[in-house]
Amino acid sequence: MNRLNLHTLGPIVALIALIILGAMLNPAFLAPANITNVLARSAFIGMIAVGMTFVITSGGLDLSVGSMAAFLAGVAIIAMNAVAPALGVHWGTILLGMGVALLGGLAAGWLNGALVTKARIEPFIVTLGTMGIFRSLVTWLADGGTLSLGSGLRTLYRPVYFGGIGWITWPIITFAVVAIIGEWMMRHSRFGRHVEAIGSNERVARYSGIDVNRVKLMTYVLLGLLVGLAVVLYVPRLGSASGSTGVLWELEAIAAVIIGGTALKGGTGRVWGTVVGVLILSLIDNILNLADLVSPYLNGAIQGVIIVLAVVLQREKSTADER
Amino acid sequence: MQRRNLMKAAALAATLGMVAGAGHAQDAEKKVIGVSIPSATHGFMGGLNWHAQDTIARLGKAYPNLEFVLATAGDAAKQVNDIEDMMATRNIDGLVVLPFESEPLTAPVKAVKEAGKFVTVVDRGLSEEGIEDLYVAGDNTAFGRVAGEYFKTHLPAGSKIVVLRGIPTTLDNERVEAFQKALGSDVEILDMQHGNWNRDDAFTVMQDYLSKYPKIDAVWAADDDMAIGVMEAIAAANRTDEMWVIGGAGMKEIVKRIMDGDKQLPVNVTYPPALISSAIEMTALRFVSNAPVTGRFIIGSQLITPENAAQFYYPDSPF
Amino acid sequence: MTVLALRNVSKSFGPIEVLHGVDLALEPGEVHALIGENGAGKSTIMKILGGFLDPTTGDLLLDGQPRQFTSGPQAEAAGVVVIHQEFNLAPDLSVAANVFLGREAGGFRLDHRAMREGTADLLGQLHSPIDPDTLIRDLSVPDRQMVEIAKALSRKARVLIMDEPSAVLTHREVGALYEQIDRLRGQGVAILYCSHRLDEVAHLADRITVLRDGRVVRQALRGELDENGMATAMVGRELQDFYPPKGHPSDALALQVTGLTVPGEVHGVDLSLRQGEVLGIAGLVGSGRTELAEGLVGLRPASAEIRVNGQPVHIRELRDAFAAGLAYLTEDRKEAGLLLEKDLRVNLTLATLERFGGFRIDTSAEDAALDRAVADFDIRAPRRDMQTGKLSGGNQQKLLLAKTMLPDPRIIIIDEPTRGIDVGTKRQIYAFIRKLADEGRSLVVISSEMTEVIGLSDRILVMRGGRIAGEISGPDMTEENIVRLAMGVSSEAA
Repeated sequence: MNRLNLHTLGPIVALIALIILGAMLNPAFLAPANITNVLARSAFIGMIAVGMTFVITSGGLDLSVGSMAAFLAGVAIIAMNAVAPALGVHWGTILLGMGVALLGGLAAGWLNGALVTKARIEPFIVTLGTMGIFRSLVTWLADGGTLSLGSGLRTLYRPVYFGGIGWITWPIITFAVVAIIGEWMMRHSRFGRHVEAIGSNERVARYSGIDVNRVKLMTYVLLGLLVGLAVVLYVPRLGSASGSTGVLWELEAIAAVIIGGTALKGGTGRVWGTVVGVLILSLIDNILNLADLVSPYLNGAIQGVIIVLAVVLQREKSTADER
Repeated sequence: MQRRNLMKAAALAATLGMVAGAGHAQDAEKKVIGVSIPSATHGFMGGLNWHAQDTIARLGKAYPNLEFVLATAGDAAKQVNDIEDMMATRNIDGLVVLPFESEPLTAPVKAVKEAGKFVTVVDRGLSEEGIEDLYVAGDNTAFGRVAGEYFKTHLPAGSKIVVLRGIPTTLDNERVEAFQKALGSDVEILDMQHGNWNRDDAFTVMQDYLSKYPKIDAVWAADDDMAIGVMEAIAAANRTDEMWVIGGAGMKEIVKRIMDGDKQLPVNVTYPPALISSAIEMTALRFVSNAPVTGRFIIGSQLITPENAAQFYYPDSPF
Repeated sequence: MTVLALRNVSKSFGPIEVLHGVDLALEPGEVHALIGENGAGKSTIMKILGGFLDPTTGDLLLDGQPRQFTSGPQAEAAGVVVIHQEFNLAPDLSVAANVFLGREAGGFRLDHRAMREGTADLLGQLHSPIDPDTLIRDLSVPDRQMVEIAKALSRKARVLIMDEPSAVLTHREVGALYEQIDRLRGQGVAILYCSHRLDEVAHLADRITVLRDGRVVRQALRGELDENGMATAMVGRELQDFYPPKGHPSDALALQVTGLTVPGEVHGVDLSLRQGEVLGIAGLVGSGRTELAEGLVGLRPASAEIRVNGQPVHIRELRDAFAAGLAYLTEDRKEAGLLLEKDLRVNLTLATLERFGGFRIDTSAEDAALDRAVADFDIRAPRRDMQTGKLSGGNQQKLLLAKTMLPDPRIIIIDEPTRGIDVGTKRQIYAFIRKLADEGRSLVVISSEMTEVIGLSDRILVMRGGRIAGEISGPDMTEENIVRLAMGVSSEAA
């Protein structure tokens, strides 16, 4: 029982260790402003990673989310800029942009899911393909440059990223809500149970009368929707999208899911673990920026070591069980 | 200014060449020019792609006997393949190449040269000298030096600044070294981290700078994409009045703000993506006229100030 | 003389002692059968002998000397080879590559031809027509078992430990297996043979050790113990009326199927089933029995005219079958029946989650259902939250039966109800099946064990080549008649 606890709590222990390390290295680390920064910038990857947890738990994978985010941001900006002259600069226009991002996410997720379930192509291949497609589309839409939101709309939209209740900004609130709903869905909803069953053994799920294809499709749609939501909060930050938006977000999201204790082969999903994983990744970056520990050339190496360590810590128990 | 003149000179020469060689050009055989550049992965390269396409469209119309083959590559290996394909299947007569990286492209470009083709190298030199017929480049050392000199002259001694670096490359190193040299020792550089010429990364790095340092007098963002992320982070921390920001490369939004006299963005340093246009134009000139086109053309980096900003402003370019 | 022996071996997992002072000696040239109910400690003994577990107290003796194996491969090097029930074959490699895995022929460059020929030779000795170049994943379960046996033969074992090797083999293959066992015995190999099939134990074993609750309760030489005696020793009480009495089906038809066709597998099968009836389906492996069942409940693309209680129904997917009151219990418990890494509750309710709340799952209702299932089907699990895969086969099967019965189906198709299950549990499951029929439900039982089909069924359909070869009932239900129909020897009984 003790070992089990250590195993599941591993990511939390790592997170606490990082927080202590950060506080020791620089007192500014625990300042509310820094905490807000770290949490808010975790929010995009965080929401995407919550969706990714469902996809991975069902035995799937989605490599396209970073490109999808860039594409959706581009489309939303174009849509808002296009209607701004007609509708004027007010919240209606912004809401329309948000709607475009969310519906676009839904559609893009559905596309991935349909290719996986209906065309029966490996998720890795499908999403590798759509990753390239979305990335090219946004570069094409931006004409190789950057799509920027009109300055009036920017000013209006800006508080959606920077505003909030006190120093708890909207991205933090949204991320928290998404995480709580996600954790609840994985543990207590029929959908979550079916997702775990499919990832655990697809054949058993099918022989239990579960509509395997529909559930899998829904995981991709859910992920697409959450990418859309992340975009809704991303656009007001810099008010722009380009070919370099969201690069490698997919790998960060997948890494967060795995650090959090969800098995890459599927079957067991842990949404709270994913949240911890996202925070660990953000904190590493933050601490390295705050504390001149190593040459900036080595930041990637430090991250890599911590990711591998986090996973090794969790594996210890299962290898011990083998004997 | 230098670049403008250069372009004018090229255009003039081209026009002259066309007039002079009009009869000659009629029955001249078709010439194919290959253009190989990195793909538009960030703002500067996006601008460069736009200028390349724009120039090719313009020249293609002006000279019917010139044909252009444009290939963009996401990495050095793909660029090598592109160039080999151009040689094998399109039978190019001239090549304009902006090498993704110097080392891996040197041998393939040398092979093109040895096959008797005209070679123009843009911006990043090959690792072996004397291969290219024509070299057109921006000046990375000047880019860093001009910025460094501005910081030195406009900040009182003892000021503190932070620096955002690009993707770790020799190009980035050249700029930063020149910057540090020009800056001297009166101004203290608090920190230098990589923002990878990316808005989001620069935003994150700047947020952390702001948490870490209670007093920052100025920021060298070294790239306009990064400058935009940096300014957003500063605005979010409500420290806009505390510091100013210098970007680089002359992105149109930034140039516009300098034109409008934005206090936070006093000046900018050019590193024009239009240098690809000059390179393509001069290469074309080689095939449509008898003008001798060889040598090295270094397009210096200049300071864009509110006074001269108008002439650096291209509203149609994506960059 | 003794090659491998256990001397006063006990084994504990944490505070629980599962083996109590076991003595066991394997002699060269002797087949030693180890029998016992599931949970009696057979697998633990096999794991200790095979070097996968260490005894807590007591000794493992090799050639009379105390010996400790730190791993399976080390035991294998000493000539002790285990054939596991769960196959240890790499599915993406060829048969030959698997047989020679870890001891490949040739130097740096593999000698493919030598390995192919060696494998063909071994398979030839087993009268198996398997092509050494086939990939394991393309083989049927019985064929994989033959490869596993061939692999063990190639190891030149001094001690061979076989765990239920015949459970998935067809009649003919079992014959070839026995022949090999005889040959190995003649060569002086010591064989430990674990099996639930007491007829086979009586036929093969020179010596029998009976285990119960981690103790050796009986050791006997060939001929000293008949099947009934073995069963009594295993269970610890007399086993009378192994099969429950036959029932009294009503005349009302519960299910009528006309022209059931599963492309390439089943060709126009008609069948009918009365209320309260147990219909047996027999036939060789590969005769289309499972395909028939899976086609009927919508797990395979199939066409048929189906009436339930006289009403036509359309079954396109498993959900439709559930809605029509049909349920199917798969033969492949581990790969299609249960989520082995999940706990009991999740498995029990997986097919019927919509009965436990709407979008949100009512966990307390699930727990209540599990309480009922545990009581109704006598599921013995040390902990509710343990992984289902850690239950014994018998308890897994009972849980699967409980899962299948949760939606309260009227027509239940059970494919191999007792595969790999101990005698005591078998008897319990037979009683459950009869009880369900007596409640007025209708059952189809598909089984490769002829005594089981005969003992359980009111009527038997025998399949051959995707068609019904014949129907037998009453006193005609004999092994001889089933074999004749299944092999297509004669139609006199049809």
